[in-house]
Amino acid sequence: MIEFKGLVKKFGDRVVLKGLDFSIPEGEILFILGTSGTGKSVLLKNLVGLLKPDAGQIWIDGEEVSHFNEDQYQAIRKKCGMVFQQPALFDSLTVYENIAFGLRRHFSMSEDEIKIKVKKALQLVHLSNIETKLPAQISYGMQKRVSLARTIALEPKILLFDEPTTGLDPVTTNAINQLIFELSDTLKTTSIVVSHDMKCALDIADRIIVMDQGQIVEQGTPGNLRRSLVPLVREFLSEVVESEGLA
Amino acid sequence: MINQAALWINDLATELGRGVLFFLNIVEVWRKKKISRELMFEQIWKVTLQSSLTTGMAGFFVGAIMTVQFTMQMKDFGAMGYLGGLATSATIREVGPLLIAFMLAGKVGAFTSAELGTMRVTEQIDAIRCLGADPIQELVLPRFVAIIISSFFLLGLGLILSIFGGILMGQFFSGVNAEEYVRHIPTIVSWPSVMSGLIKCFVFAVVLAAICTYRGYTTTGGAKGVGRAVVKTAVGTMIAIVIADWLTSFIGDLLIRAFMGN
Repeated sequence: MIEFKGLVKKFGDRVVLKGLDFSIPEGEILFILGTSGTGKSVLLKNLVGLLKPDAGQIWIDGEEVSHFNEDQYQAIRKKCGMVFQQPALFDSLTVYENIAFGLRRHFSMSEDEIKIKVKKALQLVHLSNIETKLPAQISYGMQKRVSLARTIALEPKILLFDEPTTGLDPVTTNAINQLIFELSDTLKTTSIVVSHDMKCALDIADRIIVMDQGQIVEQGTPGNLRRSLVPLVREFLSEVVESEGLA
Repeated sequence: MINQAALWINDLATELGRGVLFFLNIVEVWRKKKISRELMFEQIWKVTLQSSLTTGMAGFFVGAIMTVQFTMQMKDFGAMGYLGGLATSATIREVGPLLIAFMLAGKVGAFTSAELGTMRVTEQIDAIRCLGADPIQELVLPRFVAIIISSFFLLGLGLILSIFGGILMGQFFSGVNAEEYVRHIPTIVSWPSVMSGLIKCFVFAVVLAAICTYRGYTTTGGAKGVGRAVVKTAVGTMIAIVIADWLTSFIGDLLIRAFMGN
């Protein structure tokens, strides 16, 4: 269970998160939608301690973590795997070394155990035989999948996706969205997906939150959202209606 | 105008404060956590290799320039026998460390800043934190230590080649043969000169390493931000090295006066 209580984050005079209050039950797939610059990514970064909130509380599994220092946050990061907007793979390391990186730091495993984990993680994202390649030698879509494999190799209870399909073609976008659903289902994780993609949210989310200017303007199940009268939600929905009409 | 100046001073003070905190953080990590020898040696190798050709060439020509300059002044005094000693002493005390620092600032400083900056804007540094590692320990510290250690290797290389440059110029321009050129090097190059050169080399390397890693690590704003970080590194290191040179000379002079009298 994750809970945000009155979460505020400022950058200088600019208030990015204006007192957010909501919770996410275990096992839920939650989509957070909103236009650029509304604080969606900032919210995720606060959750994993990459940013510190200016006010409010963050509760993860009954523990208030917002005051944790860098060392204390390591346990939280083991629990919360984050997939970044960009693949964020280490250029000088092979795919294998990239995936093994977190395993070596978070756990004390033998090299054989690491090999098995890396192979399994790659299988889960439908990739194989690319362990020896460098990130620059594989496509952007594959890099995104490797990034996902690197995160799920740690078997986190909570998966955080920061705009996982940005910059991808429609086919790879669908494949990644399908992966998010499969992984949440297979690994029984709680998933928070920050996205612009309303269609995907309607397809796979258990619940959707729509944010505007650092505040929640609407939230509910996909069914509820389809009936929403909030202008921003209607705008997001109009794109889906258009694409469904085209189909 | 006054408002703008106040704003500029405020920004400068803020940046300096952040820079000092970043430096203290590096020192704290260095003190508390283990530095990966493999990563450190890799960086030392990289930095030394990257800069050895340019440093060697610059050292060679500095030796030659010093010899030409001293020849013009010493000919009238009939003291050409001291040419090698004086040229080498000036190189060790002042020109060598300053030259190495400028060479490293232009090459390694800009490279390190761009490398760390790119890792920052492509979220690799955030990813490292999320994967259970400390980016200061994994990325910054090996580069920081490598720049300091490589500076000494490069200073040595630069000095050796500056002596060769001096010998060559002495032979063909000043009419001083190699044996005569090197004979008075041990007489004139004193231990305080060597110490002064080594201390300056260390101080400049620390200043350079701190600025380039700080600029790279705190980069924001995508590709443009990386470009800005590199420019700020180049300008910042040049200015800081010159100020550090003045400070070390001033403090050194005060210490010599205090311990050895006027």
